[in-house]
Amino acid sequence: MIDVTELSKSFRRGNLVTEVLKGVTFRVRSGEFVAIMGPSGSGKSTLLNILGLLDRPDSGRYLLDGQDYSQADDEARSAARNRKIGFVFQQFHLLDRASALRNVTLPLLYTDKDPGNGTARAERALEAVGLSHRTRYLPSELSGGEQQRVAIARALINDPPLILADEATGNLDERSGAEILDIFRRIVDEGRTLVLITHDREVAKRADRILSFGDGRMLGDEVILPRAPGAIAAATGAAPPA
Amino acid sequence: MSRTQRTAQDVFVSLLANRQRAFLMMLGLAVGVAVLSAVIVMGQGTRARVMGLVRVHNLDMVMVRAGGDEQIFAPTADRGLASLFEADARAIEAEIPNIQLVSVVQNKRDINLAFEDRATTTRAFGVDPSWTDIRYRDLAEGEPLTSEDMASMARVALLGFDVARRLFPEGGAVGRTIRVENDPYVVKGVFTEVGTATAADVENFDDRLVVPFTTSSRRLFNRPYLEQIVMRVVDTGAIVETSERVRALLRVRHNIGQGEPDDFFVREPEDVVGAALETPRTMFALMGGISFVALIAGGLVIMNLMLIAVAQRSREIGLRRALGARASDITRQFLFEALFVALLGGLAGVVLGVAVASGLAAAGIGNIQITWVPFAAALAACTVIGLAFGVYPARKAARIDPATTLRGRAA
Repeated sequence: MIDVTELSKSFRRGNLVTEVLKGVTFRVRSGEFVAIMGPSGSGKSTLLNILGLLDRPDSGRYLLDGQDYSQADDEARSAARNRKIGFVFQQFHLLDRASALRNVTLPLLYTDKDPGNGTARAERALEAVGLSHRTRYLPSELSGGEQQRVAIARALINDPPLILADEATGNLDERSGAEILDIFRRIVDEGRTLVLITHDREVAKRADRILSFGDGRMLGDEVILPRAPGAIAAATGAAPPA
Repeated sequence: MSRTQRTAQDVFVSLLANRQRAFLMMLGLAVGVAVLSAVIVMGQGTRARVMGLVRVHNLDMVMVRAGGDEQIFAPTADRGLASLFEADARAIEAEIPNIQLVSVVQNKRDINLAFEDRATTTRAFGVDPSWTDIRYRDLAEGEPLTSEDMASMARVALLGFDVARRLFPEGGAVGRTIRVENDPYVVKGVFTEVGTATAADVENFDDRLVVPFTTSSRRLFNRPYLEQIVMRVVDTGAIVETSERVRALLRVRHNIGQGEPDDFFVREPEDVVGAALETPRTMFALMGGISFVALIAGGLVIMNLMLIAVAQRSREIGLRRALGARASDITRQFLFEALFVALLGGLAGVVLGVAVASGLAAAGIGNIQITWVPFAAALAACTVIGLAFGVYPARKAARIDPATTLRGRAA
């Protein structure tokens, strides 16, 4: 699903050039649940932006679902974000003035084809995260855990193969966070690939595999729970940290 | 729905959800459009009122009468007043600028009319077909005279309202054959009732029979000379100058030497139209200028509020990009937003402006005429302003980098 080779990225502020990613190489197989761990400044957010096609690497290659998006144009990248990737953010990023239902339908605005009955699809997506009784609620009327479940329904509505979650439990209490992680596990069991960014080791341990980052490099690749033969192969076949 | 339609619908729903913001955005433009549409409605009203006066008082007509200072209504050849002929009228039409319609006029009193057992007398007029337009006479029924009627010296007639009532008390005059001095004439049409403005009016405009000039000159009156030539000017502001030219032309045509008196008399109305329109015109120009400034200010308000909104909504923009929006989708979203707000403001402004103008008119201040013009003007102005002032914020929104906005720590 994800095939990253020698990915580098640096930012320039004035005369100061900061190397954020210093040649990162790894692969994530289809159906894997991978946690990316590291302290702030380790480059994991930049990596997520590149994996999510929101940013481009300076050098290196990124294959998503077999296709090279490293230098693709805005239209191709936008279409891939819409169809292939579902985002879940720490801040939920729901539209304040829009109901749960309308928030979930938002990705349907940007499909190339007519999405058909978006309301029905959104209702099913909300039902899948246990919120069928909250479709008309505004985000401000929902708890943090419920808001994140709305965001997950939004990420799933276009049925993407890859979910990118950025500190998705970081703003939640322990119980709500556990609920979200349970949902993530279910998503993976349905056959999707999930990449979760976190700095919390307890959260990371819920994944199949943990990639540890520090100072722009991958420092470790550890299999937590060999669930499927594919996961083991991916773990053993992964390139060693540089 | 297409992608663009979906975006438009989403913007519409967003504006409904953010009514307060939308209201503030459209306020400035609404005021500008209100002033603009009030100006249009009142300007058109004033114009319509003045044009009504022109019709009623024939303020755009120059009249030439036969005979010099000795004004007589019915000149006769043996009194030496047979001074005006059809050729004079054609010369005026051909040579004098600022004239759009010319008609010869000859008339005779005490013409006998009859239909079946009813009989009456009236004053008959022989005219060109254009006479009906020059005198602003409308037909209640039937058809006007035509150039074919003229060419064939047709025995056809238009009846004044009173004449028609006397001969046809039950109506149905058009198409019937009446007797005019014992000859058969087909009634082509009946004029609407003019009525006499005051009891002192010597002439009853409803007591008339009108026939083609060729018919009157060759058949009914059997004489070539005219009582009048009437003409409509294009620009009433130049009406005095135009009648001077007519006078000079006729003096040459009639071989009148220097110092000799005219054998005709030119009469023109005072230029009341220009005077009636001048004061409002200045005022409307001023108000039009104000509304233009207000519209630009309204556009700037929209642009400023949109720029603020773009900054405040950078996370929303980033989110939409993450969900699959292209930069062009974001541009379109904000352009639609500016356009919708501008059109909404324009609609509110037109309604407000027309309502205020109507209120003023009802209170006796000014005249109004409500047409589609202010609505079309508002639509055009708001479309242009919405797009012009929306482009910059929309482009700015599209350039926002989604990667930097989505990881904001502030909730």
